[in-house]
Amino acid sequence: MALTGDLTTFNFADILQVLAKDKKSGVLLVEWKDMIVAYYVREGELVFARPVDKVFRVYTDRNFEQLIHKLRIKMEDIYKTIDRFFLPRLGQKEGIFSFTPGFIKFDSEVPVYYPVEELIMRASRLLTPEEVERKISEELLIFEKSPDADAKSSKVKLTEEEKKILSLVNGNRTVADIRKDAGMDKLTVDRSLYGFLAAGIIRRKRKERVQKPFITLDLLAKIVEKIKQL
Amino acid sequence: MKELKKIKIVIAGPFAAGKTQFINTVSEIKTVATERKTSAAVEKNVKDYTTVAMDFGKIKIDDENELYLFGTPGQSRFDFMWEILGEGALGIVVLVDSTDPKTFHEARRIINFFQSRFPVPIVVGANKQDLPNAWSADDVKFALDISDDEGIPVIPLSAKEKEDVKKTLLMLLEIIRMGIEGG
Repeated sequence: MALTGDLTTFNFADILQVLAKDKKSGVLLVEWKDMIVAYYVREGELVFARPVDKVFRVYTDRNFEQLIHKLRIKMEDIYKTIDRFFLPRLGQKEGIFSFTPGFIKFDSEVPVYYPVEELIMRASRLLTPEEVERKISEELLIFEKSPDADAKSSKVKLTEEEKKILSLVNGNRTVADIRKDAGMDKLTVDRSLYGFLAAGIIRRKRKERVQKPFITLDLLAKIVEKIKQL
Repeated sequence: MKELKKIKIVIAGPFAAGKTQFINTVSEIKTVATERKTSAAVEKNVKDYTTVAMDFGKIKIDDENELYLFGTPGQSRFDFMWEILGEGALGIVVLVDSTDPKTFHEARRIINFFQSRFPVPIVVGANKQDLPNAWSADDVKFALDISDDEGIPVIPLSAKEKEDVKKTLLMLLEIIRMGIEGG
């Protein structure tokens, strides 16, 4: 299934989060106002970017190594295309994206210069207050570090502010507490939490309090039978 | 005449997620709807009428019990209704339009709301899977930041299909059963 959407409402941190969680491989096509860029994704990592004048050209080159060879780019230099065609565009909010999984073949290891966690954090640093509010929607939310938080955060060049904010996430503090204890402006804190969450460094803490259902097993069985018969 | 006991399941979700359709598909009565013409231009582009208070459908269980399906209004300006409808609910189905990623964050906000106020079982229905641009249920799950330990299954469905709606309700009821047995 294709993943399609609009960058105005589903930003790069969100897109990369979905690609990384499932370790997807394929091509993310973004139609900016001024150009179309194909971003090549291998196991959730963004490895290469290529502007294309016509979309169909993307689908004629199905072998990644042959494509790189044809374009006369050294494998060790492919990250420079990310520098040129991805990073400067993280702040641009207008564009249509679509991700097509699977059709590109990666024969061998491809160097990953910018781990996806790093790209997610960079994207998060440029979010507007309106964008941040979509994920950090309530100040009573409580986050905790993910089991692999250390491994994931070690891939990111965190700023000193982000390090401090991450240190405050402990499964007890609410978003409001973290904002207060960090002593920073709200947007900086919320952008960091957004990025940590999208990168899988932190996660929502599950509520311990679960309300016991107020019906009997017999009545529940009747409801189940009734639904089945509908 | 003896009054029937009312059991309530809430059908929540962002604007145009398919809540009214979901209820219509399985309700034994004609859904009692409170629809008005959409007013905002952006909403008019999606549909002409929208739920402004609640929808409800009904399924008779036996001579003593009825199951009510209450649909919440999708627009956030009516979110005060969530509080009213959530009270006493047995469980909650949060529907998401799988073709419209701009509503995913709103869906997560709705999940957060019900998790914090009414800690009852929740399932997410990744609706409109019959449409060509639908995101898969797994991708919807990732986009909604639903971690495995949250215990919220994401079920692919088309609310027009009775079997899909039944499957979603049965999943919710299974989680409720586990809650009862787990004490």
